[in-house]
Amino acid sequence: MGSGLSMNRQTAFWALLAPPLLFVGIFFVVPLLNLFWVSLHGASSTELFGSNLSGENYYRILTDSFYHTIILRTLWAGMSIMLLCLVLGYATAYVIAPLPPRTRLIMLLLLVAPLMVSNVIRAYGWIAILGRQGVVNSMLRSTGLIDGPLLLLNSFEAVAFGLMTILLPYMVVSIVNALNSIDRQYIEAAQSLKANPVRSFIYVVWPLSSPGVASGTLLVFLLTLSAYVTITLLGGPRMKLLVSLVFDSVSGFRWPLAAALSFALLTLALVVAGLILALLRPGRVQGRG
Amino acid sequence: MRGLLIALTGFSYVVVLLPILIVVVTAFSASEFFAFPPKGFSLRWFEAFFASDSMRGAFSRSLQIATIASILATVLGTMASIAIARRKGTLFNLVQGMFIAPLIFPAIVLGLSLLIFYKSIGGVPDFLGLVIAHSVLGLPFVVRSVTSSLLAVDPALEEAGQSLKASPVDVFIFIIAPLIWPGMLAGGIFAFILSLGELNTALFLTGPGVTTLPIEIFSYLQFQGGQLVIAAASAIQVFMIIAIVLIAERLIGLKRIVRSE
Repeated sequence: MGSGLSMNRQTAFWALLAPPLLFVGIFFVVPLLNLFWVSLHGASSTELFGSNLSGENYYRILTDSFYHTIILRTLWAGMSIMLLCLVLGYATAYVIAPLPPRTRLIMLLLLVAPLMVSNVIRAYGWIAILGRQGVVNSMLRSTGLIDGPLLLLNSFEAVAFGLMTILLPYMVVSIVNALNSIDRQYIEAAQSLKANPVRSFIYVVWPLSSPGVASGTLLVFLLTLSAYVTITLLGGPRMKLLVSLVFDSVSGFRWPLAAALSFALLTLALVVAGLILALLRPGRVQGRG
Repeated sequence: MRGLLIALTGFSYVVVLLPILIVVVTAFSASEFFAFPPKGFSLRWFEAFFASDSMRGAFSRSLQIATIASILATVLGTMASIAIARRKGTLFNLVQGMFIAPLIFPAIVLGLSLLIFYKSIGGVPDFLGLVIAHSVLGLPFVVRSVTSSLLAVDPALEEAGQSLKASPVDVFIFIIAPLIWPGMLAGGIFAFILSLGELNTALFLTGPGVTTLPIEIFSYLQFQGGQLVIAAASAIQVFMIIAIVLIAERLIGLKRIVRSE
Protein backbone atom coordinates (compact mmCIF):
# COMPACT_ATOMS: atom_id res chain seq x y z
CA MET A 1 0.00 0.00 0.00
CA GLY A 2 2.70 2.46 1.06
CA SER A 3 4.95 1.49 -1.83
CA GLY A 4 1.98 1.73 -4.20
CA LEU A 5 1.47 5.31 -3.14
CA SER A 6 5.15 6.21 -3.49
CA MET A 7 5.25 4.52 -6.91
CA ASN A 8 2.35 6.73 -7.85
CA ARG A 9 4.20 9.82 -6.62
CA GLN A 10 7.36 8.81 -8.41
CA THR A 11 5.45 8.43 -11.67
CA ALA A 12 3.75 11.78 -11.14
CA PHE A 13 7.13 13.41 -10.47
CA TRP A 14 8.64 12.16 -13.73
CA ALA A 15 5.48 12.81 -15.72
CA LEU A 16 5.70 16.42 -14.56
CA LEU A 17 9.43 16.93 -14.94
CA ALA A 18 10.12 15.03 -18.17
CA PRO A 19 8.33 17.32 -20.68
CA PRO A 20 9.89 20.63 -19.51
CA LEU A 21 13.27 18.95 -19.03
CA LEU A 22 13.17 17.52 -22.56
CA PHE A 23 12.03 20.84 -23.97
CA VAL A 24 14.86 22.82 -22.39
CA GLY A 25 17.32 20.02 -23.16
CA ILE A 26 16.43 19.87 -26.85
CA PHE A 27 15.97 23.59 -27.48
CA PHE A 28 18.54 25.15 -25.15
CA VAL A 29 21.27 22.70 -24.12
CA VAL A 30 21.63 20.68 -27.34
CA PRO A 31 21.72 23.76 -29.63
CA LEU A 32 24.46 25.25 -27.43
CA LEU A 33 26.57 22.09 -27.58
CA ASN A 34 25.94 22.00 -31.32
CA LEU A 35 27.05 25.64 -31.59
CA PHE A 36 30.29 24.78 -29.82
CA TRP A 37 30.82 21.84 -32.17
CA VAL A 38 30.29 24.11 -35.17
CA SER A 39 32.76 26.65 -33.77
CA LEU A 40 35.48 23.99 -33.85
CA HIS A 41 35.39 23.69 -37.64
CA GLY A 42 36.60 25.64 -40.62
CA ALA A 43 34.22 27.36 -43.03
CA SER A 44 32.63 25.55 -45.96
CA SER A 45 31.08 27.05 -49.06
CA THR A 46 28.42 24.36 -49.41
CA GLU A 47 27.73 23.10 -45.89
CA LEU A 48 27.13 24.82 -42.55
CA PHE A 49 30.71 24.03 -41.59
CA GLY A 50 33.83 22.37 -42.97
CA SER A 51 34.63 18.71 -42.41
CA ASN A 52 37.86 19.04 -40.44
CA LEU A 53 38.15 19.85 -36.77
CA SER A 54 40.22 22.98 -36.28
CA GLY A 55 40.80 25.76 -33.79
CA GLU A 56 41.30 28.35 -36.52
CA ASN A 57 38.33 30.51 -35.50
CA TYR A 58 39.48 30.82 -31.92
CA TYR A 59 43.07 31.30 -33.05
CA ARG A 60 41.92 34.17 -35.23
CA ILE A 61 39.97 35.85 -32.46
CA LEU A 62 42.92 35.50 -30.08
CA THR A 63 45.61 36.76 -32.48
CA ASP A 64 43.93 39.25 -34.83
CA SER A 65 44.25 42.80 -33.46
CA PHE A 66 40.94 43.76 -35.12
CA TYR A 67 39.12 41.44 -32.71
CA HIS A 68 41.16 42.76 -29.78
CA THR A 69 40.03 46.31 -30.57
CA ILE A 70 36.39 45.23 -30.72
CA ILE A 71 36.59 43.15 -27.54
CA LEU A 72 38.22 46.02 -25.65
CA ARG A 73 35.61 48.43 -26.95
CA THR A 74 32.85 46.03 -25.88
CA LEU A 75 34.37 45.79 -22.39
CA TRP A 76 34.74 49.57 -22.23
CA ALA A 77 31.13 50.07 -23.33
CA GLY A 78 29.89 47.54 -20.78
CA MET A 79 31.92 49.11 -17.98
CA SER A 80 30.80 52.67 -18.78
CA ILE A 81 27.15 51.65 -18.96
CA MET A 82 27.49 49.69 -15.74
CA LEU A 83 29.03 52.67 -13.92
CA LEU A 84 26.51 55.18 -15.26
CA CYS A 85 23.66 52.87 -14.25
CA LEU A 86 25.22 52.30 -10.85
CA VAL A 87 25.53 56.01 -9.99
CA LEU A 88 22.07 56.97 -11.27
CA GLY A 89 20.44 53.74 -10.14
CA TYR A 90 21.83 53.88 -6.63
CA ALA A 91 20.79 57.50 -6.15
CA THR A 92 17.29 56.71 -7.43
CA ALA A 93 16.97 53.56 -5.34
CA TYR A 94 18.19 55.46 -2.26
CA VAL A 95 15.39 57.99 -2.73
CA ILE A 96 12.68 55.42 -3.55
CA ALA A 97 13.46 52.72 -0.97
CA PRO A 98 12.30 54.57 2.18
CA LEU A 99 9.01 55.75 0.64
CA PRO A 100 5.72 54.33 2.00
CA PRO A 101 4.94 50.94 0.34
CA ARG A 102 2.15 52.11 -1.97
CA THR A 103 4.10 55.14 -3.26
CA ARG A 104 7.21 53.01 -3.64
CA LEU A 105 5.32 50.45 -5.72
CA ILE A 106 3.97 53.13 -8.04
CA MET A 107 7.41 54.73 -8.42
CA LEU A 108 8.86 51.30 -9.23
CA LEU A 109 6.07 50.55 -11.69
CA LEU A 110 6.93 53.74 -13.57
CA LEU A 111 10.40 52.29 -14.12
CA VAL A 112 9.45 48.63 -14.59
CA ALA A 113 6.68 49.25 -17.14
CA PRO A 114 9.16 50.76 -19.67
CA LEU A 115 11.12 47.48 -19.48
CA MET A 116 8.12 45.80 -21.06
CA VAL A 117 8.28 48.11 -24.07
CA SER A 118 10.45 46.72 -26.84
CA ASN A 119 14.01 48.09 -26.89
CA VAL A 120 13.57 48.99 -30.55
CA ILE A 121 10.83 51.45 -29.57
CA ARG A 122 12.91 52.93 -26.76
CA ALA A 123 15.87 53.37 -29.11
CA TYR A 124 13.51 54.94 -31.66
CA GLY A 125 12.49 57.42 -28.97
CA TRP A 126 16.11 58.53 -28.64
CA ILE A 127 16.42 58.86 -32.41
CA ALA A 128 13.35 61.11 -32.31
CA ILE A 129 14.97 63.18 -29.58
CA LEU A 130 18.60 63.28 -30.68
CA GLY A 131 18.40 62.74 -34.45
CA ARG A 132 19.05 65.36 -37.15
CA GLN A 133 15.39 66.39 -37.23
CA GLY A 134 14.97 65.48 -33.58
CA VAL A 135 13.55 67.41 -30.66
CA VAL A 136 16.87 68.80 -29.45
CA ASN A 137 18.02 69.99 -32.85
CA SER A 138 14.71 71.57 -33.80
CA MET A 139 14.50 73.37 -30.47
CA LEU A 140 18.03 74.70 -30.74
CA ARG A 141 17.45 75.75 -34.32
CA SER A 142 14.21 77.58 -33.55
CA THR A 143 16.02 79.58 -30.88
CA GLY A 144 18.70 80.41 -33.43
CA LEU A 145 21.52 78.94 -31.36
CA ILE A 146 22.76 76.72 -34.19
CA ASP A 147 22.61 76.84 -37.98
CA GLY A 148 23.13 73.21 -38.98
CA PRO A 149 21.96 70.19 -36.99
CA LEU A 150 24.22 68.84 -34.25
CA LEU A 151 25.25 65.23 -34.79
CA LEU A 152 24.27 63.63 -31.51
CA LEU A 153 23.84 60.05 -32.71
CA ASN A 154 26.11 57.48 -34.36
CA SER A 155 28.75 57.57 -31.67
CA PHE A 156 30.05 55.51 -28.78
CA GLU A 157 28.59 58.08 -26.37
CA ALA A 158 25.14 57.81 -27.94
CA VAL A 159 25.19 54.02 -27.54
CA ALA A 160 26.43 54.21 -23.94
CA PHE A 161 23.86 56.84 -22.99
CA GLY A 162 20.97 55.14 -24.80
CA LEU A 163 21.69 51.71 -23.38
CA MET A 164 22.13 53.21 -19.94
CA THR A 165 18.59 54.62 -20.09
CA ILE A 166 17.23 51.31 -21.36
CA LEU A 167 18.88 49.19 -18.66
CA LEU A 168 18.70 51.61 -15.71
CA PRO A 169 15.41 50.19 -14.31
CA TYR A 170 17.04 46.78 -13.70
CA MET A 171 19.65 48.46 -11.52
CA VAL A 172 17.10 50.51 -9.57
CA VAL A 173 14.85 47.51 -8.86
CA SER A 174 17.79 45.34 -7.71
CA ILE A 175 19.14 47.99 -5.37
CA VAL A 176 15.72 48.96 -3.96
CA ASN A 177 15.15 45.31 -3.05
CA ALA A 178 18.56 45.13 -1.36
CA LEU A 179 18.10 48.40 0.52
CA ASN A 180 14.69 47.35 1.78
CA SER A 181 16.00 44.09 3.18
CA ILE A 182 18.55 45.94 5.36
CA ASP A 183 17.60 45.77 9.01
CA ARG A 184 17.00 49.38 10.18
CA GLN A 185 18.70 48.51 13.47
CA TYR A 186 22.12 48.37 11.80
CA ILE A 187 21.81 51.94 10.61
CA GLU A 188 20.43 53.11 13.96
CA ALA A 189 23.32 51.35 15.68
CA ALA A 190 25.79 53.22 13.47
CA GLN A 191 24.04 56.50 14.27
CA SER A 192 24.01 55.85 17.98
CA LEU A 193 27.75 55.24 17.75
CA LYS A 194 27.99 58.77 16.31
CA ALA A 195 28.87 57.69 12.79
CA ASN A 196 28.09 60.55 10.41
CA PRO A 197 25.79 59.74 7.44
CA VAL A 198 28.75 59.32 5.07
CA ARG A 199 30.53 56.86 7.35
CA SER A 200 27.35 54.92 8.05
CA PHE A 201 26.78 54.73 4.29
CA ILE A 202 30.31 53.50 3.55
CA TYR A 203 30.54 50.98 6.38
CA VAL A 204 26.93 49.86 6.81
CA VAL A 205 24.56 50.62 3.93
CA TRP A 206 26.87 50.06 0.96
CA PRO A 207 28.25 46.65 2.09
CA LEU A 208 24.77 45.43 3.03
CA SER A 209 23.36 46.50 -0.33
CA SER A 210 26.12 44.72 -2.27
CA PRO A 211 23.87 41.78 -3.33
CA GLY A 212 21.58 44.27 -5.10
CA VAL A 213 24.53 46.10 -6.64
CA ALA A 214 26.02 42.80 -7.80
CA SER A 215 22.83 41.52 -9.42
CA GLY A 216 22.10 44.94 -10.96
CA THR A 217 25.55 45.42 -12.49
CA LEU A 218 25.62 41.81 -13.67
CA LEU A 219 22.26 42.13 -15.40
CA VAL A 220 23.22 45.44 -17.01
CA PHE A 221 26.51 44.07 -18.34
CA LEU A 222 24.97 40.85 -19.67
CA LEU A 223 22.17 42.70 -21.42
CA THR A 224 24.66 45.17 -22.94
CA LEU A 225 26.46 42.25 -24.61
CA SER A 226 23.33 41.22 -26.54
CA ALA A 227 21.96 44.66 -27.39
CA TYR A 228 22.52 44.50 -31.15
CA VAL A 229 19.47 46.53 -32.15
CA THR A 230 20.17 49.45 -29.80
CA ILE A 231 23.86 49.48 -30.73
CA THR A 232 23.05 49.52 -34.45
CA LEU A 233 20.33 52.17 -34.25
CA LEU A 234 22.15 54.60 -31.96
CA GLY A 235 25.72 53.83 -32.96
CA GLY A 236 25.30 53.71 -36.71
CA PRO A 237 26.87 51.22 -39.10
CA ARG A 238 30.44 51.85 -38.01
CA MET A 239 29.97 51.51 -34.24
CA LYS A 240 30.73 47.81 -33.89
CA LEU A 241 30.77 45.79 -30.70
CA LEU A 242 31.31 42.05 -30.35
CA VAL A 243 27.65 41.26 -30.97
CA SER A 244 27.77 43.17 -34.29
CA LEU A 245 30.56 40.87 -35.46
CA VAL A 246 28.40 37.83 -34.70
CA PHE A 247 25.76 39.31 -37.00
CA ASP A 248 28.24 40.27 -39.69
CA SER A 249 29.58 36.71 -39.78
CA VAL A 250 26.05 35.35 -40.02
CA SER A 251 25.17 37.62 -42.92
CA GLY A 252 28.39 36.41 -44.60
CA PHE A 253 27.30 32.79 -43.94
CA ARG A 254 30.49 32.19 -41.96
CA TRP A 255 28.71 30.02 -39.41
CA PRO A 256 31.77 28.57 -37.62
CA LEU A 257 33.24 32.05 -37.05
CA ALA A 258 29.88 33.36 -35.81
CA ALA A 259 29.73 30.39 -33.43
CA ALA A 260 33.26 31.02 -32.13
CA LEU A 261 32.48 34.74 -31.65
CA SER A 262 29.40 33.74 -29.63
CA PHE A 263 31.61 31.74 -27.31
CA ALA A 264 34.01 34.68 -27.06
CA LEU A 265 30.98 36.70 -25.96
CA LEU A 266 29.98 34.05 -23.42
CA THR A 267 33.54 33.95 -22.06
CA LEU A 268 33.52 37.71 -21.65
CA ALA A 269 30.19 37.43 -19.79
CA LEU A 270 31.60 34.79 -17.44
CA VAL A 271 34.85 36.66 -16.76
CA VAL A 272 33.08 39.92 -15.94
CA ALA A 273 30.46 38.11 -13.84
CA GLY A 274 33.31 36.49 -11.89
CA LEU A 275 35.03 39.85 -11.41
CA ILE A 276 31.84 41.51 -10.18
CA LEU A 277 31.20 38.73 -7.68
CA ALA A 278 34.84 38.76 -6.49
CA LEU A 279 34.82 42.52 -6.10
CA LEU A 280 31.46 42.94 -4.35
CA ARG A 281 31.34 39.58 -2.53
CA PRO A 282 27.54 39.60 -2.16
CA GLY A 283 27.77 36.20 -0.47
CA ARG A 284 29.05 37.71 2.77
CA VAL A 285 25.73 39.53 3.22
CA GLN A 286 23.53 36.51 2.61
CA GLY A 287 25.57 34.64 5.20
CA ARG A 288 25.00 37.21 7.95
CA GLY A 289 22.20 35.15 9.54
CA MET B 1 23.27 66.09 -0.69
CA ARG B 2 19.53 65.42 -0.48
CA GLY B 3 18.97 67.89 -3.32
CA LEU B 4 21.54 66.16 -5.53
CA LEU B 5 19.97 62.76 -4.90
CA ILE B 6 16.53 64.03 -5.83
CA ALA B 7 17.92 65.73 -8.95
CA LEU B 8 19.55 62.46 -10.05
CA THR B 9 16.31 60.59 -9.35
CA GLY B 10 14.38 63.07 -11.46
CA PHE B 11 16.93 62.67 -14.25
CA SER B 12 16.51 58.86 -14.10
CA TYR B 13 12.76 59.10 -14.54
CA VAL B 14 13.09 61.59 -17.39
CA VAL B 15 15.58 59.51 -19.40
CA VAL B 16 13.59 56.30 -18.86
CA LEU B 17 10.14 57.71 -19.63
CA LEU B 18 10.76 60.54 -22.10
CA PRO B 19 11.68 58.47 -25.20
CA ILE B 20 8.50 56.40 -24.89
CA LEU B 21 6.38 59.49 -24.30
CA ILE B 22 7.80 61.27 -27.35
CA VAL B 23 7.10 58.28 -29.60
CA VAL B 24 3.50 58.00 -28.39
CA VAL B 25 2.82 61.72 -28.84
CA THR B 26 4.39 61.77 -32.31
CA ALA B 27 2.14 58.92 -33.43
CA PHE B 28 -0.83 61.31 -33.32
CA SER B 29 0.90 63.87 -35.52
CA ALA B 30 -0.86 65.16 -38.63
CA SER B 31 2.32 66.10 -40.48
CA GLU B 32 4.19 64.08 -43.07
CA PHE B 33 7.50 64.00 -41.23
CA PHE B 34 8.72 64.02 -37.69
CA ALA B 35 8.32 67.36 -35.96
CA PHE B 36 8.18 68.23 -32.32
CA PRO B 37 5.91 69.51 -30.98
CA PRO B 38 3.73 67.68 -33.54
CA LYS B 39 1.77 69.82 -35.97
CA GLY B 40 -1.92 69.03 -35.63
CA PHE B 41 -3.68 65.95 -34.34
CA SER B 42 -4.72 63.02 -36.51
CA LEU B 43 -5.05 59.27 -36.58
CA ARG B 44 -3.66 59.04 -40.12
CA TRP B 45 -0.57 57.07 -39.07
CA PHE B 46 -2.69 54.52 -37.24
CA GLU B 47 -4.76 54.17 -40.41
CA ALA B 48 -1.55 53.81 -42.40
CA PHE B 49 -0.41 51.13 -39.97
CA PHE B 50 -3.51 49.01 -40.43
CA ALA B 51 -3.53 49.67 -44.18
CA SER B 52 -0.02 48.25 -44.53
CA ASP B 53 -0.08 44.51 -45.14
CA SER B 54 3.43 43.96 -43.84
CA MET B 55 2.80 45.92 -40.62
CA ARG B 56 -0.58 44.36 -39.95
CA GLY B 57 0.80 40.92 -40.75
CA ALA B 58 3.76 41.37 -38.42
CA PHE B 59 1.46 42.64 -35.69
CA SER B 60 -0.93 39.71 -35.84
CA ARG B 61 1.97 37.27 -36.12
CA SER B 62 3.56 38.80 -33.01
CA LEU B 63 0.29 38.37 -31.13
CA GLN B 64 -0.06 34.74 -32.23
CA ILE B 65 3.53 33.87 -31.33
CA ALA B 66 3.26 35.60 -27.95
CA THR B 67 -0.01 33.80 -27.16
CA ILE B 68 1.21 30.32 -28.06
CA ALA B 69 4.68 30.79 -26.55
CA SER B 70 3.34 32.16 -23.26
CA ILE B 71 0.82 29.31 -22.92
CA LEU B 72 3.54 26.75 -23.66
CA ALA B 73 5.92 28.41 -21.19
CA THR B 74 3.21 28.55 -18.51
CA VAL B 75 2.28 24.87 -18.89
CA LEU B 76 5.87 23.60 -19.01
CA GLY B 77 7.07 26.02 -16.34
CA THR B 78 4.27 25.08 -13.94
CA MET B 79 4.97 21.37 -14.43
CA ALA B 80 8.66 21.89 -13.75
CA SER B 81 7.99 24.06 -10.70
CA ILE B 82 5.61 21.56 -9.11
CA ALA B 83 8.11 18.75 -9.66
CA ILE B 84 11.12 20.51 -8.14
CA ALA B 85 9.95 23.44 -6.00
CA ARG B 86 10.41 21.66 -2.67
CA ARG B 87 13.29 19.38 -3.66
CA LYS B 88 16.74 20.02 -2.32
CA GLY B 89 20.15 18.85 -3.46
CA THR B 90 22.76 19.68 -6.06
CA LEU B 91 21.00 17.87 -8.88
CA PHE B 92 17.73 19.73 -8.35
CA ASN B 93 19.55 23.05 -8.03
CA LEU B 94 21.20 22.28 -11.34
CA VAL B 95 17.88 21.43 -13.01
CA GLN B 96 16.28 24.57 -11.61
CA GLY B 97 19.30 26.58 -12.78
CA MET B 98 18.79 25.19 -16.27
CA PHE B 99 15.20 26.46 -16.35
CA ILE B 100 16.22 29.88 -15.01
CA ALA B 101 19.38 30.23 -17.15
CA PRO B 102 17.77 31.81 -20.26
CA LEU B 103 16.93 34.81 -18.06
CA ILE B 104 20.55 35.97 -17.86
CA PHE B 105 21.99 34.03 -20.79
CA PRO B 106 22.96 36.34 -23.69
CA ALA B 107 19.88 35.93 -25.88
CA ILE B 108 21.86 36.60 -29.03
CA VAL B 109 23.79 33.36 -28.46
CA LEU B 110 20.55 31.49 -27.87
CA GLY B 111 19.18 32.89 -31.14
CA LEU B 112 22.22 31.87 -33.17
CA SER B 113 22.42 28.42 -31.56
CA LEU B 114 18.75 27.78 -32.37
CA LEU B 115 19.17 29.01 -35.96
CA ILE B 116 22.10 26.66 -36.56
CA PHE B 117 20.31 23.84 -34.73
CA TYR B 118 17.20 24.25 -36.91
CA LYS B 119 19.38 24.21 -40.01
CA SER B 120 21.23 21.13 -38.76
CA ILE B 121 18.04 19.13 -38.36
CA GLY B 122 16.83 20.06 -41.84
CA GLY B 123 14.87 23.24 -41.16
CA VAL B 124 11.95 24.28 -38.96
CA PRO B 125 9.15 26.62 -40.13
CA ASP B 126 9.95 30.20 -39.05
CA PHE B 127 6.74 30.58 -37.05
CA LEU B 128 7.35 27.40 -35.04
CA GLY B 129 11.01 28.30 -34.58
CA LEU B 130 10.06 31.64 -33.04
CA VAL B 131 7.44 30.06 -30.78
CA ILE B 132 10.05 27.63 -29.45
CA ALA B 133 12.64 30.38 -28.86
CA HIS B 134 10.15 32.60 -27.04
CA SER B 135 8.94 29.69 -24.91
CA VAL B 136 12.52 28.99 -23.78
CA LEU B 137 12.91 32.69 -22.93
CA GLY B 138 9.55 32.84 -21.12
CA LEU B 139 10.09 29.72 -18.99
CA PRO B 140 12.29 31.40 -16.33
CA PHE B 141 9.60 33.97 -15.55
CA VAL B 142 7.02 31.23 -15.04
CA VAL B 143 9.34 28.97 -13.02
CA ARG B 144 10.34 31.86 -10.77
CA SER B 145 6.86 33.14 -10.02
CA VAL B 146 5.16 29.73 -9.77
CA THR B 147 7.94 28.40 -7.51
CA SER B 148 7.52 31.32 -5.12
CA SER B 149 3.74 30.76 -5.09
CA LEU B 150 4.25 27.03 -4.44
CA LEU B 151 6.63 27.64 -1.55
CA ALA B 152 3.89 29.67 0.11
CA VAL B 153 1.46 26.70 -0.02
CA ASP B 154 1.25 24.72 3.20
CA PRO B 155 2.51 21.17 2.39
CA ALA B 156 -0.03 19.79 4.87
CA LEU B 157 -2.81 20.65 2.40
CA GLU B 158 -1.25 18.48 -0.28
CA GLU B 159 -0.63 15.63 2.17
CA ALA B 160 -4.23 15.84 3.37
CA GLY B 161 -5.39 15.43 -0.22
CA GLN B 162 -3.11 12.45 -0.75
CA SER B 163 -4.16 10.75 2.46
CA LEU B 164 -7.75 11.05 1.29
CA LYS B 165 -6.70 9.07 -1.81
CA ALA B 166 -6.96 11.96 -4.23
CA SER B 167 -5.00 11.29 -7.42
CA PRO B 168 -2.10 13.65 -8.21
CA VAL B 169 -4.26 15.23 -10.92
CA ASP B 170 -7.07 15.86 -8.43
CA VAL B 171 -4.59 17.27 -5.92
CA PHE B 172 -3.41 19.70 -8.57
CA ILE B 173 -6.84 20.75 -9.79
CA PHE B 174 -8.58 21.07 -6.42
CA ILE B 175 -5.75 22.03 -4.06
CA ILE B 176 -2.66 23.43 -5.76
CA ALA B 177 -4.06 25.24 -8.80
CA PRO B 178 -6.51 27.43 -6.85
CA LEU B 179 -3.61 28.55 -4.64
CA ILE B 180 -0.93 29.18 -7.25
CA TRP B 181 -2.90 30.60 -10.18
CA PRO B 182 -1.76 34.19 -9.51
CA GLY B 183 1.84 32.99 -9.86
CA MET B 184 1.00 31.15 -13.07
CA LEU B 185 -0.81 34.18 -14.44
CA ALA B 186 2.04 36.56 -13.52
CA GLY B 187 4.60 34.28 -15.19
CA GLY B 188 2.41 33.84 -18.26
CA ILE B 189 1.81 37.58 -18.62
CA PHE B 190 5.53 38.27 -18.45
CA ALA B 191 6.28 35.58 -21.00
CA PHE B 192 3.64 37.16 -23.26
CA ILE B 193 5.04 40.69 -22.91
CA LEU B 194 8.59 39.46 -23.38
CA SER B 195 7.68 37.68 -26.60
CA LEU B 196 5.83 40.73 -27.91
CA GLY B 197 8.94 42.93 -27.73
CA GLU B 198 11.69 40.36 -28.18
CA LEU B 199 14.49 41.20 -30.62
CA ASN B 200 17.60 39.14 -30.02
CA THR B 201 16.40 35.69 -31.06
CA ALA B 202 13.85 37.08 -33.52
CA LEU B 203 16.67 38.81 -35.44
CA PHE B 204 18.00 35.37 -36.39
CA LEU B 205 14.79 33.42 -36.60
CA THR B 206 12.51 35.68 -38.65
CA GLY B 207 12.60 35.04 -42.36
CA PRO B 208 11.39 36.74 -45.51
CA GLY B 209 7.66 37.31 -45.14
CA VAL B 210 7.64 36.00 -41.56
CA THR B 211 8.62 38.90 -39.29
CA THR B 212 7.47 40.07 -35.89
CA LEU B 213 6.42 43.66 -35.18
CA PRO B 214 9.65 44.70 -33.39
CA ILE B 215 11.75 43.35 -36.25
CA GLU B 216 9.48 45.09 -38.76
CA ILE B 217 9.99 48.37 -36.86
CA PHE B 218 13.75 47.76 -36.76
CA SER B 219 14.04 47.20 -40.50
CA TYR B 220 11.89 50.28 -41.20
CA LEU B 221 14.19 52.36 -39.00
CA GLN B 222 17.27 50.94 -40.69
CA PHE B 223 16.20 51.16 -44.30
CA GLN B 224 13.24 53.51 -44.70
CA GLY B 225 14.00 56.29 -42.26
CA GLY B 226 11.63 58.47 -40.34
CA GLN B 227 8.21 57.40 -41.52
CA LEU B 228 5.75 58.10 -38.79
CA VAL B 229 3.91 54.83 -39.35
CA ILE B 230 6.49 53.24 -37.03
CA ALA B 231 5.54 55.75 -34.34
CA ALA B 232 1.99 54.46 -34.65
CA ALA B 233 3.21 50.86 -34.54
CA SER B 234 5.21 51.67 -31.41
CA ALA B 235 2.32 53.53 -29.80
CA ILE B 236 0.04 50.52 -30.36
CA GLN B 237 2.51 48.32 -28.51
CA VAL B 238 2.81 50.81 -25.67
CA PHE B 239 -1.00 51.01 -25.32
CA MET B 240 -1.25 47.23 -25.27
CA ILE B 241 1.32 47.03 -22.49
CA ILE B 242 -0.49 49.71 -20.47
CA ALA B 243 -3.73 47.74 -20.89
CA ILE B 244 -2.05 44.49 -19.84
CA VAL B 245 -0.50 46.15 -16.76
CA LEU B 246 -3.89 47.61 -15.74
CA ILE B 247 -5.62 44.24 -16.14
CA ALA B 248 -2.80 42.46 -14.32
CA GLU B 249 -3.01 44.97 -11.49
CA ARG B 250 -6.67 43.98 -11.00
CA LEU B 251 -6.01 40.25 -11.22
CA ILE B 252 -2.73 39.74 -9.41
CA GLY B 253 -1.84 43.06 -7.77
CA LEU B 254 0.83 45.67 -8.29
CA LYS B 255 3.36 43.94 -6.06
CA ARG B 256 3.63 40.89 -8.27
CA ILE B 257 4.02 42.99 -11.43
CA VAL B 258 6.89 45.00 -10.01
CA ARG B 259 8.64 42.00 -8.50
CA SER B 260 8.34 39.66 -11.45
CA GLU B 261 10.36 41.74 -13.88
